[in-house]
Amino acid sequence: MVDKIKVENLSCYYDKKCALESLNISIVQNEILSIIGPANSGKTTFLRTLNRMNDFDKTYSRKGKVYLVGDNIFDMNMENLRKRVGMLFAMPIPLPMSIYENVVYAPKRLGLISKKSELETIVEQALKDASLWDEVKDRLDSSAMKISGGQQQRLCIARILAINPEVILFDEPCSGLDPISTAKVEESMIELKRKYTIVLVTNNVKQASRVSDRTAFFLMGKLVEIDKTDRLFVSPKEKQTEDYITGRFG
Amino acid sequence: MRKIIDTTIETIIFICGILSIIFVVLIFGFLFKEGFAFFKSFGIIEFITGRFWYPTSNTPSFGIFPFIIGSILVTVGACIIAVPIGVMTALYISEVAPKGIRDVLKSAVELMTAIPSVVVGFVGMVTLVPFIRTLFNIPTGLTAFSGSIMLAFMAMPTIVTISEDAMRSVPWQYKEGALALGATKWQTIRRIVLKAAMPGVIAAIMLGVGRVIGETMTVMMITGNSARIPLSIFEPVRTMTAVVAAEMGETVRGGMHYKSLFAIALVLFLITFIINFIADLFLGKNKNK
Repeated sequence: MVDKIKVENLSCYYDKKCALESLNISIVQNEILSIIGPANSGKTTFLRTLNRMNDFDKTYSRKGKVYLVGDNIFDMNMENLRKRVGMLFAMPIPLPMSIYENVVYAPKRLGLISKKSELETIVEQALKDASLWDEVKDRLDSSAMKISGGQQQRLCIARILAINPEVILFDEPCSGLDPISTAKVEESMIELKRKYTIVLVTNNVKQASRVSDRTAFFLMGKLVEIDKTDRLFVSPKEKQTEDYITGRFG
Repeated sequence: MRKIIDTTIETIIFICGILSIIFVVLIFGFLFKEGFAFFKSFGIIEFITGRFWYPTSNTPSFGIFPFIIGSILVTVGACIIAVPIGVMTALYISEVAPKGIRDVLKSAVELMTAIPSVVVGFVGMVTLVPFIRTLFNIPTGLTAFSGSIMLAFMAMPTIVTISEDAMRSVPWQYKEGALALGATKWQTIRRIVLKAAMPGVIAAIMLGVGRVIGETMTVMMITGNSARIPLSIFEPVRTMTAVVAAEMGETVRGGMHYKSLFAIALVLFLITFIINFIADLFLGKNKNK
């Protein structure tokens, strides 16, 4: 098992208020790691630190180190980091253009490819990997705003896949979706694990138990427990974890 | 009793509500009446394409072509200056500026709208006009170019505030989505912010143009008021608005000259109406998204 991401002593603050406290955690290559925990547990802060989306927030500051296969991500160029660590947000946010343009947006901007034929291959592959190809292959030119919420979310996945990242961060990707769309997104996540490393933040404890290999439980900015998903859900070591996953919390 | 008050207030509000429509229709109707009376005795084609404006001579000639050219020249010049600066100012305010600077800049731009046009004209007359004359070494600084610069100054607040609103209303998630894909800040601004805000930006430009083309006092003071077709932007011109404003006081009520000014006003009204209409189309498109 290779560590894809290694977090050493990471603490994050918003205006001096601690949101994440001396976190040490490793994320293994080709696994799905779920992060569960109540509101204010620091799980989204952690995720947004991993591809430095929080750097735009003026009140945010941090200490500690995060290594992506040996490189400290805080020393890296932000655009390069985001190319290697893609992120999917809670709300499906297709860019205001056609389905095709949404997928080719990032590869084009990053200057990864130039030939039109290559672009077409990338679009097809990315949409297939996101299990969306069959539903949209006949209308790639129609607006991305017109397809359903679940399809939009999978389009957003395809958009990330098009730049071929190493790690994909999912920030509650199914919070706005119906159960069937959720199942489809989960399906594609499990499919994607073969090629990518996935970190999933979710409020849906059942979702964590369905898709992830390992699960981490965060509480009040601290990592309480991390273990193999089946072990954590069957026999958690900590009382707090047990309370949370059985719904006896707060 | 309560019912009566209710109906009364409703009626008053309704009247106030449709008042502006009534005024527009009345003004339009009045312009049409006087303008058409003029076109009956003087051909509309000859009016628009005629090159000579001798309204008071024995054989009067009413050609407004020089004024149309003057208006277009000044307006286009003002747009060339105001549109890039205005749009970039809006981008700076909405996307780049730190909060402190943004607030100051925004109020400063809004304050620009409050400057009376006669003040703009006056300031231009005593500062810009002599400067232009010595800079380009031309006989007079009262040129279309000077007018364009001062009008650009007047159109900018409209362009900045409206396009800034449009840019600000681009959902933050779009920008976040693009940034998360590794796009740089400039790529995000150009491909996402500008693209999504484009209908609003175009509407802002059209409204700015509408303001410029209808502006009277400033152009009257600094474009030199010469009723001939200019050969370059460094020559004096006269705009349609300036003709109406300058000559209306000296005409005989009901005479040909009087009516011809209404005809000019009608042409002007049609132009601004079309511009506003196009702006509305774009603004409406923005809303429906």
